[in-house]
Amino acid sequence: MLNIQTRQEGNASVVTIQGKVNFEVTAQLRDVIRDTVTTLLPKLLVINLEGVSFIDSSGLGLLVAARNSVDKNSGKLHLCGLPPQVKKTFDQTNLTNYFSIFATEQDALRGA
Amino acid sequence: MQKGLVLVVDDEAPIRDILSFYLKRAGYQVLLAENGRQALEEMAKLQPDLIISDLRMPELAGDEFCQIVKGNPATRDIYFVLVSAMDGSASRIGGLNLGADDMIAKPFHAQEVMAKVASAFRIIEMQKEIKRQNQVLVRFQERMTAELNLAAKLQMGLLPEAPGEVSCVHYHHRYLPAEGIGGDIYSILPMPGGGVAIMIADVSGHGVTAALISAMVKTSFGNQIHLSDSPRIWAERMNRDLVRSTLEEQFATAFLAYLDPASHQLRYVVAGHEPAFRIPAGTPKSPEALHGKGFMLGIDESLPFDELSAPFEPGDRIILYTDGLVEVEREDRQFLGNDGLLGYCADLPQDGEAAVGHLLEQARAFHSPNPFVDDVTLVLLDRVR
Repeated sequence: MLNIQTRQEGNASVVTIQGKVNFEVTAQLRDVIRDTVTTLLPKLLVINLEGVSFIDSSGLGLLVAARNSVDKNSGKLHLCGLPPQVKKTFDQTNLTNYFSIFATEQDALRGA
Repeated sequence: MQKGLVLVVDDEAPIRDILSFYLKRAGYQVLLAENGRQALEEMAKLQPDLIISDLRMPELAGDEFCQIVKGNPATRDIYFVLVSAMDGSASRIGGLNLGADDMIAKPFHAQEVMAKVASAFRIIEMQKEIKRQNQVLVRFQERMTAELNLAAKLQMGLLPEAPGEVSCVHYHHRYLPAEGIGGDIYSILPMPGGGVAIMIADVSGHGVTAALISAMVKTSFGNQIHLSDSPRIWAERMNRDLVRSTLEEQFATAFLAYLDPASHQLRYVVAGHEPAFRIPAGTPKSPEALHGKGFMLGIDESLPFDELSAPFEPGDRIILYTDGLVEVEREDRQFLGNDGLLGYCADLPQDGEAAVGHLLEQARAFHSPNPFVDDVTLVLLDRVR
């Protein structure tokens, strides 16, 4: 089960994801992120991964695609709240150095 | 349009005549029988779409006749209307429990029967349509399954024949695609001067798309090793190939290595992949993980890759695998992870084929009863001289 919530904080859009991000749920998540980026054109997109227990390669691919689409609109993508298991996956794939990653959502919003 | 065929079963001739008259006038074809036994004989010659049968008849009564029709797979889809003089809900329920599709109470108005017949044929047409569509789906599925099986065989053909040897390396593998066909691939190729080029990759996603990209990764690798002996340059060029030829969410993790037998060095790049393990010769075994921090292939053309190196001497063993082997979530939310797998490597059989089988079984036992959910590839390389 994947739980996705979106909300606005000033110029920023915040997407909060909870659950396991794998092949079966990427379509659902992709739609939410695409809708958010194309309709709101946020200057800053924050994706909060605090409640994510696991992310597989298709989930990582989705985040990379999200960064590309935000880049195209001259916006920024900030990730925050990576739990240890997710952090490990990011470290192993060196994506820690590809994304702007913050400890908390507040930091991610301030880091604009 | 030709209307359907109705079998009227009744021991009273006037009732058969009346129903026959109305049915024919409405355009249906009609078969007649005096009892269940005769009806079965008629049905052996020509199968009706609809049966209207009396309940009480000599030789074979309507209830038994209905059970025979509904109990036979060849005839059970025939719409069956039971006509009964016993009115009331008890009789209705009894009739429907026998498997009849509908009931008519005697005495009846011919118009009532004709209305039921019309409604029955609407249902019969719908059922026929569903059957037709189902057949189309089944045929489609059979064709897809056959094609997938063929593709899976072709994909197995992309893998090195194992066990095998290239130059000074003997190798063994286990390859378990999650859906018959998968995104894992590996390759071991000879280089000029006795060197060995080694690659294992895991393409994001599953199924046919991942399999196609895995073939692309293998081709790209095969091209690069003729142009350079540096895994860093292979990674950069394979990355570029993948960025240019795939969609934005598609990429691959990979471990690329070049064994130079003269210097006993393994130069390698970890592109977002699980660390390989090196098990040095001699006892006690102290396996080490060859970690590295590199991006996955296919994200961005400008991303850099680092080349690392480790000794690989005669008697040493290297273990390569994809994350499907260690990333199964157990009931207690534990993952084997690469640390867990590394632990198993301290105590492997000397024989390479036995060792690769043992390691796979250890991982399987850890996740049990949960099965592997992703593609799993495990490769073992022994340097024999």
